[in-house]
Amino acid sequence: MQSRTIRLRLSQGLHARVAVRVVKVASRFTSKVVLVVGERRASARSLMAMLMLAAAMGATVRLETEGPDEREALEAVAAILAPGPGR
Amino acid sequence: MVSFALHGIGVSGGIAIGRAQLVSHATLEVAHYTIPATKVDEEIARFDHAVGAVQEELKQLHGTMMASGDVPGEFGAFLDVHWMILNDPTIAEAPKRLIAEQRCNAEWALTQQMGVLVDQFNEIEDTYLRERKSDVVQVVERVLKRMMGTSGALPTPAAEERTILVAHDLSPADVIQFKQHRFAAFLTDLGGVTSHPAIVARSLAVPAVVATHNARQMIHDGEMLIVDGANHVVIVNPDRAVLSEYRLKQGELEIERQKLKRLRTKPAETIDRQRVELHANIELPGDLEQVLESGATGVGLFRSEFLFLNREGLPTEDEQFEAYRSVAEGMDGKPVTIRTFDLGADKSKEGLDGLVRVAPNPALGLRAVRFCLAEPRLFLTQLRAILRASHHGRMRILVPMLASAAEIDATLAMIEQAKETLRERGEPFDANIEVGGMIEIPAAVLAMDAFLDKLDFLSIGTNDLIQYTLAVDRSDEAVSHLYDPLHPAIVRLLALAIGGAAKAQVPIAVCGEMAGEVAYTRLLLGLGLRNFSMHPAQVPALKQRVLTTDIAAIKPLVDRMRRTETPAKMVALLEKLNA
Repeated sequence: MQSRTIRLRLSQGLHARVAVRVVKVASRFTSKVVLVVGERRASARSLMAMLMLAAAMGATVRLETEGPDEREALEAVAAILAPGPGR
Repeated sequence: MVSFALHGIGVSGGIAIGRAQLVSHATLEVAHYTIPATKVDEEIARFDHAVGAVQEELKQLHGTMMASGDVPGEFGAFLDVHWMILNDPTIAEAPKRLIAEQRCNAEWALTQQMGVLVDQFNEIEDTYLRERKSDVVQVVERVLKRMMGTSGALPTPAAEERTILVAHDLSPADVIQFKQHRFAAFLTDLGGVTSHPAIVARSLAVPAVVATHNARQMIHDGEMLIVDGANHVVIVNPDRAVLSEYRLKQGELEIERQKLKRLRTKPAETIDRQRVELHANIELPGDLEQVLESGATGVGLFRSEFLFLNREGLPTEDEQFEAYRSVAEGMDGKPVTIRTFDLGADKSKEGLDGLVRVAPNPALGLRAVRFCLAEPRLFLTQLRAILRASHHGRMRILVPMLASAAEIDATLAMIEQAKETLRERGEPFDANIEVGGMIEIPAAVLAMDAFLDKLDFLSIGTNDLIQYTLAVDRSDEAVSHLYDPLHPAIVRLLALAIGGAAKAQVPIAVCGEMAGEVAYTRLLLGLGLRNFSMHPAQVPALKQRVLTTDIAAIKPLVDRMRRTETPAKMVALLEKLNA
């Protein structure tokens, strides 16, 4: 299993449009991709589950991936949650 | 029939007279009944079918929207969100379990499930995330309508009569369909100035009143309505006298509009052949349509603060880029001047921790460029977004509330830094983007050399310039009568600024309210101003005034105004000027 802890800097937190991108990207991999906020866990393939995580800006999200392409999946989803330059 | 009026927020002006057509509100009309065990599979199939049909519908709408290209880009993202909600097991699967377990009808199962989800959303602390429940409700609404036989599509307006749409709320998908029909106007119970229906109504130039609270309940199908967008009012079942009065008003507006159309393509030129640029002030990307229709030759002031409306937190670089780009592209090579955030700490406290403090005197406090320089992350994000948009049109950066050379230098350094980041990222932008400054502090006029040396253009914000020069807060009723654009000090400051810029050959505009009032047009022309920026609705009248002005002939009168010391004489001279 791969995992990484990310502090959300997206201005609206894990908002709907970002979540849509997470679902799209996570669905490309065979590994299981899970987001954890506090005690709540959500599959990165379910938009509603992620919205329900209620991860606002500044929240700490733990990203977990497990499966044959877990490393790639982790990087791909992390790139959406913590976008590149200017972070 | 009783005549009555409803009040709301007029988000798009104009008058429409027509018959009401109510949009059904399925979630309020769901029946509950038990189904026999033998029919459970059939009921589940009915549910699946409806979900599938709506999925297909949203996909098609997405396609039509992309093809037509005249809907704001964010609508695509909203349709994506809705499509994905619909695909989520909590919507697409959970109700089926309820149907099987409770042997209830599919509509009821879906409504129950929606209730569960909405309750969960309601527990979310973050307002923005909590409001996503409305997306869930809108999606469910669509599926319900499909199952109940009232298709998700909006009713088609009857051809022979003008039809006014009355709805509780309109989803982005509804709004896109709305564009495909020709409704005379629309009303919604919910919504605000920046809601999607409002944006589309403005782009279609169709009158609209939102936030009426209960129009959907108060109005019946087929009732006669008058929608007066400019006055935020809806008249239901108007009597004959009111109706004929409004028909007259409507006719006048139409004549005005026709007149405007004829003037639209005519260049603004004085009798003595001086070319004048008339630009538009806008607040939202959706105002663009009105700008193009007005005949304005550019956007002289794009107030970027709208990005902070209706939201918590700060707008991202990408969101800003999309907004700026849409305007840059829409103006098709004509200049688009974006004023960087004119915010005080009060307006942005949501997104910036620790900045919540009440300034003793906000107008003289940490606001506009001062605030931006104190919050480099916010400022750099906006600058990068503007620079990226400069690749898609002719963008100009306008910095508000500059008072000193040091502030200009700091701002220019920030712009360089933003450019550097984009170079590193390999993103294209206009390396020669023009940077201008607002002239709204008397100090800027009295020591304008630094502005003329360091900046590419200037724009006078008369509202603040008057307020700061006369030390009068116009919103304070006790002193507002002292606010006087014709105060000799103001006329002289304007003469100084416009004359100084002309001498240094630096373009200068006026973008405050004075620029949009025909009473001051000749005064400003006589002082040497050749660029006015105003609300798009004021452009035609201004153009009319420019076309009938001979600058050489009025110059002596304007020179006398520059020397006048008594207010009474000033007013008399202005009257003579405008005669």
